[in-house]
Amino acid sequence: MNGQARALIESMPNDIGTEAVGPLSFDEAFTLHHRAVFRTARAVVRDSALAEDVTQEVFLRLYRNLNSTPGEELLRAWLLRVTLNVARNTLRGQSRSMVRDNEYHKSTAETGFFAEAPEEDYERRVAIEEARRALDKIKEPMRSCLLLKQQGLSYREIATSLSLKETNIGSLVARGRKEFARVYGKIGGKRDTVSG
Amino acid sequence: MTRCLDEVKLQCYFDGELSIEMMESVTSHLASCATCAAAARELEEESALLTAAFAAEFEESVPTERLRQRIDEAVLGERLATARSSAKTGFFAGLLNFGTQRTLGYASLVVVLGFAAIIGVVKMRSTPAPIASTTPEQQPANREIAKAPSINEPVTPAPVNVSTPVRTTESTPTYRPAKFIANSAPKPAPVKLLPGERSYLQTIARLDSAIKSNKKGMRPALQVEYERNLAVVDRYIAATRSAAKSNPNDPDAADFMFTAYQSKVDLLNTIADARLGGGPRH
Repeated sequence: MNGQARALIESMPNDIGTEAVGPLSFDEAFTLHHRAVFRTARAVVRDSALAEDVTQEVFLRLYRNLNSTPGEELLRAWLLRVTLNVARNTLRGQSRSMVRDNEYHKSTAETGFFAEAPEEDYERRVAIEEARRALDKIKEPMRSCLLLKQQGLSYREIATSLSLKETNIGSLVARGRKEFARVYGKIGGKRDTVSG
Repeated sequence: MTRCLDEVKLQCYFDGELSIEMMESVTSHLASCATCAAAARELEEESALLTAAFAAEFEESVPTERLRQRIDEAVLGERLATARSSAKTGFFAGLLNFGTQRTLGYASLVVVLGFAAIIGVVKMRSTPAPIASTTPEQQPANREIAKAPSINEPVTPAPVNVSTPVRTTESTPTYRPAKFIANSAPKPAPVKLLPGERSYLQTIARLDSAIKSNKKGMRPALQVEYERNLAVVDRYIAATRSAAKSNPNDPDAADFMFTAYQSKVDLLNTIADARLGGGPRH
């Protein structure tokens, strides 16, 4: 078999994730981090369909940069950094995202993705909306710090994701957390349910 | 008693971002300082609030399957784009790596298939195919084509020189993609085969037919990729064939065309082997 035929055969999609990402394969990177990427994207763009677009773009960039991405330890930070950038760029070109989001949820519920009792869906969406509104009141980079902290990132990962000094993250998280508690309480969030 | 804890140190403590020594120090301080212990409780409450606020969002479903599918498709597109661009640059360079052993192997295969094709056609043909008009550029000119019978004349299959497997100029079937050839009998057509094409086309048709007979078991993604790769190879065949046709005096042009055909044979062989050998390769 000549080189071209071999290259073509090797490009068969049976195992797209065979490339190494440091010690991780592309498949492993997707399996481990797609949720964090999608949730971070959705938290920024507020639109599940757009968040899917962002997630796809992020992993495509990972694929294009397999040789230059950081190792396993900081891969999630790298992915979320790209996610925030792509999501913000996407957001700039979008409007009326909530309308689309509602349409998305309507369509996906019809197809069974989010099939559940309507009242549960309503309560959850109200809770999500309150958290989002509270988070909207927090200034950057505290807002992103909180978002990433809630995803379980370490200070080092947050610093890498946001291009900040690691020594500043604790302060930003503390300030963001206090501000969030204040705003969320005002909005009418579930502060009373989280006492003690 | 150590100094009271500031907000940041307390936050780092709860986030597990302090060194072991510092963690122990803070723990012991909290056990002995009511003010700091109260601050710690407030921090815990606010952290719990934050977690609760985000819980609904984070618990919302993530469409893993769909994301996986979309990303697979996107990566596949990326791969194909890369394969196409590298194939464009690497195709002819790859010819230089055509080793002697491999060349002999291919030549032998082509000779055998050529004989089989000639015999098969002679036996099956009840009436001679009409002779197509000849274009000047199809005059045999290179050292291989010169040995072949003239394509201007009706040809009776003749013994083929083993060292020159590019033969068979009788009748004038149209060149078509293999999938069509496999399902249709050769018919007279205005496009003539170049010397040596027939054997490749018959090989390709047979392989294609074998693969298609087992197509139901092929995974959809593999099927799509296979057909795309086939299209790439077909394009190269068309390009090199056109070059060979317009440059009949250039032996390299014919070589390029045969190598393009060989690429398709390789591709089909690999797929057929994989199918027969227990499924697609990984």
